[in-house]
Amino acid sequence: MKKPDVKVVLLGDMNVGKTSLLHRYMERKFKDTVSTVGGAFYLKQWGPYNISIWDTAGREQFHGLGSMYCRGAAAIILTYDVTSWQSLGELEERFLSLTDTANHDCIYALVGNKVDLTDAKAQLSQDSDGLSEDRSTAAAGDEEERTELQAAPASPVSLSGSVLRKQVTLEDAVALYGRIMRYKGLDETSKLPADKMCFETSAKTGYNVDALFETLFDLVLPSILRKRNEDKESPTVDLEEVGNKRSRSSCC
Amino acid sequence: MSVKAFELVPAVERDLLMGDKARINIECIECCGKHLYVGTNDCFIHHFLLDEVTSSKGKLTYLAQKLLHKYLGLKKPVAELRAASALERLIVLCDGIVFLVDMVTLESVPSAAGGGVKIRGVTAFCINENPVNGDPFCVEMGVLSSRRRTVQVYMVYEDRVQLVKEVNTPEQPCAVSLDGYFLCLALTTQYMILNYNTGAAQDLFPYNSEERRPIVKRISREEFLLAAPGGLGMFANAEGVSQRAPVSWSESVIAAAVCFPYVVALDENFVTIHSMLDQQLKQTLSFRDGHVLQDFEGKVILASTKAVYVLVPLPLERQIQDLLAGHRVEEALILTEGAQRNIPKDKFQILHRRILQQAGFIQFGQLRFLEAKEHFRKGQLDVRELISLYPLLLPASSTFSRCHPPLHEFADLNHLAQGDQEKVLRCKKFLITYLGEVRSTEVVNGCREDVDTALLKLYAEQDHESLLDLLASDNSCVLADSIPWLEKYHKYFALGLLHHCNGQDSAALQLWIRVVDGELQDFTRSDLFEYIVDFLCSSNLDLVWKYADWALRKDPTMGVHIFTKRPVSEDRAELNPDDVIAYLGKHNQALLLYLEHLVLEKRIQKEKVHTHLAVLYLDRVLSLLSGTPAGEEQLTKAREKLQAFLRESSLYRVHFVLGKMENYEELLLERATLHGKLEEHDKALHILVHKLRDFRSAESFCMWASSCRDSAFQQRLFHLLLGVYLDRSENSPAAGGQAGGELEMAAVDLLNRHGEVFDAVRVLRMLPEDWSLQLLRPFLNRAVRASTHACRTSQIALGLARSENLQVLHDRLKEVKKPIFVSEKKGCHLCHNTFSEPDVVCLPGGVPVHAHCVAQRVRDSPTKRRLTNSSDQT
Repeated sequence: MKKPDVKVVLLGDMNVGKTSLLHRYMERKFKDTVSTVGGAFYLKQWGPYNISIWDTAGREQFHGLGSMYCRGAAAIILTYDVTSWQSLGELEERFLSLTDTANHDCIYALVGNKVDLTDAKAQLSQDSDGLSEDRSTAAAGDEEERTELQAAPASPVSLSGSVLRKQVTLEDAVALYGRIMRYKGLDETSKLPADKMCFETSAKTGYNVDALFETLFDLVLPSILRKRNEDKESPTVDLEEVGNKRSRSSCC
Repeated sequence: MSVKAFELVPAVERDLLMGDKARINIECIECCGKHLYVGTNDCFIHHFLLDEVTSSKGKLTYLAQKLLHKYLGLKKPVAELRAASALERLIVLCDGIVFLVDMVTLESVPSAAGGGVKIRGVTAFCINENPVNGDPFCVEMGVLSSRRRTVQVYMVYEDRVQLVKEVNTPEQPCAVSLDGYFLCLALTTQYMILNYNTGAAQDLFPYNSEERRPIVKRISREEFLLAAPGGLGMFANAEGVSQRAPVSWSESVIAAAVCFPYVVALDENFVTIHSMLDQQLKQTLSFRDGHVLQDFEGKVILASTKAVYVLVPLPLERQIQDLLAGHRVEEALILTEGAQRNIPKDKFQILHRRILQQAGFIQFGQLRFLEAKEHFRKGQLDVRELISLYPLLLPASSTFSRCHPPLHEFADLNHLAQGDQEKVLRCKKFLITYLGEVRSTEVVNGCREDVDTALLKLYAEQDHESLLDLLASDNSCVLADSIPWLEKYHKYFALGLLHHCNGQDSAALQLWIRVVDGELQDFTRSDLFEYIVDFLCSSNLDLVWKYADWALRKDPTMGVHIFTKRPVSEDRAELNPDDVIAYLGKHNQALLLYLEHLVLEKRIQKEKVHTHLAVLYLDRVLSLLSGTPAGEEQLTKAREKLQAFLRESSLYRVHFVLGKMENYEELLLERATLHGKLEEHDKALHILVHKLRDFRSAESFCMWASSCRDSAFQQRLFHLLLGVYLDRSENSPAAGGQAGGELEMAAVDLLNRHGEVFDAVRVLRMLPEDWSLQLLRPFLNRAVRASTHACRTSQIALGLARSENLQVLHDRLKEVKKPIFVSEKKGCHLCHNTFSEPDVVCLPGGVPVHAHCVAQRVRDSPTKRRLTNSSDQT
């Protein structure tokens, strides 16, 4: 297994679609997923770099593991469901504190998923590849997924209308992004602009998904380069560092 | 999703341990090499020798031999046992006391003088498997105490234990693991990493240790496996970062261990086995009353309350083969690649390649060609393995035999496709692309012939356009094998190319000729005849002489290209034109074309060739003349050609040609040309004017005949023509009458048109007196103008010449008019006496002499010319 250069973590309440987003990006498909147990991770080759992307479990039960996943993260994707006001609220109440262990220069993205349910423009698939296949599998998996969601407290959606009421607008997300930046103690000059870091996506149709991940990957490149440089030119011999490196290589 | 990764093999049966005593249970175990120690709840340690026995069928069993058992005398269960083999000691935890016993005798070790061997109030301890201390004869041990919130680090020697460090913890610790300086601790409400050297602490995640028994298991350097909420097995390294995704256990998990690449966990009823590579559950073994699960030097040992078992991993290759047998390609590959670090590099490469190849064939069988190709490529598959699936594709001469054990389950393509022709076709198309891609790579080194032949057969069978590309490029197709195949699919053109590749040009030509002649059917090239001609252009001469005849008979115009389009090259024998002319003897048309090629394009300056061509042109004209009158147009064309040639060329034998057309009155124009060539202009003009009465031609003749000569010659020729026109002599056949008028008109036209070449005065003398001025006006106008022009031009020239002369004179005077010095000291050049008076005479060049000397000289000279040049002297 290759050694990852940098870590990206997906956080968010259960059923907002973290696994589906990652699956859409990595496998270019939307399929039925089960509730994530504990966490999972993917390794993405981005140019010459390896980026590990961690999918975390949204369930309360696994909440304690969050800060461990976030430790040393270069980017964190805070995910909510545009049809659930509560899922946005949870980000601020429950998940924001988990990010304390992330790198001091960690990049935050705020992502509203399931926008295909509320916006017609997101209903068209953006993936040109495997469109028809996606359609059929998505349709099959969709019924179950949405039915399941109906029962879930985080996203009380109904199946009756194809377009649901959007509970969270992009403005709400931008406002939250501002609060997150304040929480992180980042001033206006050093933070990334909210309009660049707030996304609305649909894992089902693929709307905006590639844009989200690719924007983030481009933004973490400096972080990778700095890390590589640090690894390379450490002027003093640090025994712990040496030990750490060995442990990393031995477990991959 | 299941794999058979492990087998549970009994090691120590109940009988051997406690017989039928129901109350006695196993509490802990330790294994060190062949030595197995079992601690029981009645405070006994049992020592066994465990032998591995492999049956003839390869089945592994364990034979346990009891060596000793020893009562420790504390009436409490033996909680933990750890061997320190270098010290020959067992570290025992019993009744909250840690102490040492001899590994062989199981006797307690007495205290040494310097320190104690017992630690009291201990709840748990662990051994550092990655100690920072380099001393091989001591063991580092982490100890949890029941009363204090501390962790103590001890050094254990042969006969003493020594406290080296004590660190405080925020809560009461209940489980510990140690690696380097890092203590991994389970506290009451959370896990943490503690560096006992620096004191740096790193919280991991919350866990309620009172609710569920925590697990802290060192699995590799600075990496730990922890029981997490929700029955998760979490990985954490010393930095507090998780580098692997967690595995999902049950809530009631008791113990866990890693046997790469698997995580083995024990709960009340099962042993579960997860892969660390994809976090999936791979195997579940039913195991009741499970109590202990531990790994010792890579060996996983399990104990229920009554018996001990070994969890024997199946050989990796067997696991992989099982996965492949179940067509679980991805898992098999993950497992193979995950095992990379546990297998020597060269062995791994061989294994990995083989698995990749097998994976490729499985995907090939499922028609997943893209994946299959990738795996074949990565696995560096011998392409012939794939080719051999397709019946008859490998050449008979191939020495290939499939590898053993086989890489796949298919006998051949028909077996694979089960008669589905659509599938067969897709497989063939795949092989075409695959071979096309690999044939230029090093993958095919050593089997190029097999690959190219197979590809040729496929191309031929599938009517693929690349067949010709293959044969046109450098290839190694086996001739003997390919011939029947190409014949079967009527690919005669391709077969010819193949013959050509093998240096059998003659065979190739024979085949193609048969196709052109319709004996064989192959519609590959509609322009095959042209192709053959091109081919012969660059063939060796033997082939040219042999097959040119056929081509010339088929189409002389194209056929002659064999000779005319032959590229010039240094290293090949050139065609001798004489040989070609001789060869073309019976092919008139081709011969003509060839001669034209020689004369007009190659510009060969040979009388023989030119004459031959002239004669051929003439023959053609003559044959047309004697033929039916229908060919009027052809005749005109032929004559134009002949005339043009007769005019342009000056190398043919004029008399010979003239002789040949003597009897043909129709060819007067040509004859005139020939007379012109012979400088017999009067004859030529006579023919033109009097026989043909073609005045325009007569004029053209004059222009042509004088084209390379000076203007005087031209004038002479035109005067000659005028003379012919005006000739009223008795022998002229056109004298008098209407015909005479016609000639006069011609004369007038000639004068008016070409007035400039005539000498007007001579013309006026020749002209009859009675001609009207009006008639000749253009001519006269021009003549007068020209004469005036000439007069004025000459006047200007004269003036210019005079002025030039004057200029020269002036320059000369300027040069001459230098002062001449005369003195009494200077002598006369003629008499050499000095001058006595100023009167002197100057010789040319300004030389002063006596006047009388000059007079003398003039008198003596034969010409008696007087020198007039004199100048005044001062």
